[in-house]
Amino acid sequence: MQFTKKILIVGLALVLLVSLVAGCGQKPATEQKQEQAPAQQQEQQQSQQATETEKIKIGLVFDVGGRGDLSFNDSAYAGLERAQKEFGDKIEVKYLEPSAGGENREQLMRLLAEDGYNLIFGVGFMFTDHIAKVSQEFPDVKFGLIDGAIDGLKEDSNVSCLLFKEQEGSFLVGAAAALKSKTGKVGFVGGMKSPLIERFEVGYLAGAKYINPNIGTMVDYIGTTGDAFKDPVKGKELALKQFKAGADVVYHASGASGIGVIEAAAGEKKLAIGVDSDQSLTAKEDQRKYILTSMLKRVDVSVYNTIKAYLDGNFKGGYQIFGLAEDGVGYAVNDYNKDMISDIQPKLEELKQKVIKGEIKIPMDKKEYEEFLKTLSK
Amino acid sequence: MNNRFKIILLRLLSPIFAIFLAALISSLVIVFIHQNPLKVFVTMFSFSFRRIDSIAIILYNATPLIFSGLAVSVGFRMNLFNIGVEGQYLMGAFLAALVGFSIKGLPAFIHLPLTILSAIVAGALWSFLPIYLKVKKGVHEVISTIMLNYISFSVIHYFIADLLMDKSQKMLNGLGSPLVRMPKLMPTALMPRMREFLNMFGFNIPKHVYLNWFFPLGILLAIGIYYMLMRTPFGFELRAVGHNPDAARTSGIKPEKVYFMGFILSGAIAGLVGLSDLLGYFGYMDLDFPRNYGFNGIAVALMGQNSPIGIILSAILFGFLNRGAEGVQTFLNVPMDTVIILQALMIISIVIITKVMNDYIKRMEKREVSKNASGRTAGVQL
Repeated sequence: MQFTKKILIVGLALVLLVSLVAGCGQKPATEQKQEQAPAQQQEQQQSQQATETEKIKIGLVFDVGGRGDLSFNDSAYAGLERAQKEFGDKIEVKYLEPSAGGENREQLMRLLAEDGYNLIFGVGFMFTDHIAKVSQEFPDVKFGLIDGAIDGLKEDSNVSCLLFKEQEGSFLVGAAAALKSKTGKVGFVGGMKSPLIERFEVGYLAGAKYINPNIGTMVDYIGTTGDAFKDPVKGKELALKQFKAGADVVYHASGASGIGVIEAAAGEKKLAIGVDSDQSLTAKEDQRKYILTSMLKRVDVSVYNTIKAYLDGNFKGGYQIFGLAEDGVGYAVNDYNKDMISDIQPKLEELKQKVIKGEIKIPMDKKEYEEFLKTLSK
Repeated sequence: MNNRFKIILLRLLSPIFAIFLAALISSLVIVFIHQNPLKVFVTMFSFSFRRIDSIAIILYNATPLIFSGLAVSVGFRMNLFNIGVEGQYLMGAFLAALVGFSIKGLPAFIHLPLTILSAIVAGALWSFLPIYLKVKKGVHEVISTIMLNYISFSVIHYFIADLLMDKSQKMLNGLGSPLVRMPKLMPTALMPRMREFLNMFGFNIPKHVYLNWFFPLGILLAIGIYYMLMRTPFGFELRAVGHNPDAARTSGIKPEKVYFMGFILSGAIAGLVGLSDLLGYFGYMDLDFPRNYGFNGIAVALMGQNSPIGIILSAILFGFLNRGAEGVQTFLNVPMDTVIILQALMIISIVIITKVMNDYIKRMEKREVSKNASGRTAGVQL
């Protein structure tokens, strides 16, 4: 027993020694190479870059969770991907993901800036303070901040805040819900209780009440933390509760928790409304006919447009606002829901035009919603 | 003599073996994602140690882990498992943030110590219930501290998101989203950075390095803990209770009292964990405040074998792994998930190698002792 252990240990030590020797033998060699001709290398690189007509480098830092969240981060990535497809030879892209706690968001942004990236995106409002700092250190680098607003930017600033009028898109799907509801009750399931998600809520409720001032509404939130965006079990539970209480259309603004809401709708044979991206396309086959539509928040469009503007030399600092008029938000029509939604589409388009013209003022928080209700009753 | 030399050599070599074993296994992973392992490691090391900002950032990364490793190790020394460091440090950071923003008009030399003190108090208070239950009712500390972790997360979230959220943040026409955070701390409550001090000695540390005076404080605390454990009666009692509470009791030590004091001490240290980030970097407490330092502290304490010096070194190793990961991700396109696998592999292989080596050394020592002993008896016989 002891003998075999000894052999094991000696063997292990040998393996390690070999790797040590190999490692020691090779590492300095590569380093030497680097040191031998740093000047040459630099020249080479420069000439290479020159011949490649200097690709524009575009970086993107996801928020915690990264790709594969089927909503926010993925949408940003889609914009980056589209830009890469269209301007493939002109740009070089790279995307990074912060550590689990997200505490290195700022360092990652800075590393990209140091590495010569020309345009860098921070996906999510958590980047607000970090971009505010890093953008001052690198005045020649341009930054795109999604969903966050830094105070006091001007058109010649190097930061562009990409903001969305979520309430406008939510207003339209709220109207759609009210038009489709037979029970006269509609529901909303929010993720984390925050001013941002509240904007989805009041926009939706306003849309429903605009169509039918007597409609019954139910509102539930999954939680008060970021975890509320990845809790499909609770999402399903809350949606089931609303369906049982008589709602027949439920809209969710809860990220990955919404998978549960859609499941509940399919189980109860009622309707769900997706959010951020067109969720009919990512839902399971048998669930698709229970998704009335999705409120689109075109993060991809905002990323793509910003890249395009940069390449055309039209990058504008300050605030880019994406509402119905800019096609930054909207409702989804696809192969799966077009029969379901075709009869109400003219009405939705009419409302859309009214919103764009400013004939309907959509509330953005609870207080404005109360006022909105008062104007309806008149 | 020969053997003793061997033992010392083995002790010195074991971490190096561990790192190479880790490198070997992770090379396979790297080859698997079609990257050159050698290039990855060279990047990791050169990015981490050839840049002055990286070195300082590694120390900054290590700072909270030194505190949490120490907090956990004080528990381990008594054979208690304080898995509640996570909750204790969040409560500490929360109370510090509260004191930091709500009290105005104090000079820094009062406000900063007061803020730090409040973190210590919060950590100690949050460890009071589990140890009280343990000593009085025999409730296992692992269960109660885990549950208190959950409670602390929720309580803090409630305060940050509902009661104390900073409503003064401006939004453009109500669009975008404000940070879900408490008001910013007064400048008098913030910990100065070490940058200016270090730059006086000719270092050229850039502005974005948040290394602050909590790092030397952590080192001092480690030395203090070492002294306390090895040179004071309380430290002796603490170790005695950890080895064998019954034996300690028969020799006149009250294990309950030692458990109580020791655990509260552990909680008090835990209260300090989040302060380097709170007072040295963010300057506010938000929903996204760094998590997991408490759990990582368990790994740090285990790797450092509960010795204060070992804890400092393993905290620095963790700091290096995090910084190296940033470099590898940025410059070589290695995805974050692979980097996390590499980090975990490194930690596991270090734990395994040190364990194997320690067992081997112990057996050698034993053999040496028995050889000496038998030699002596043989001598007597002769």
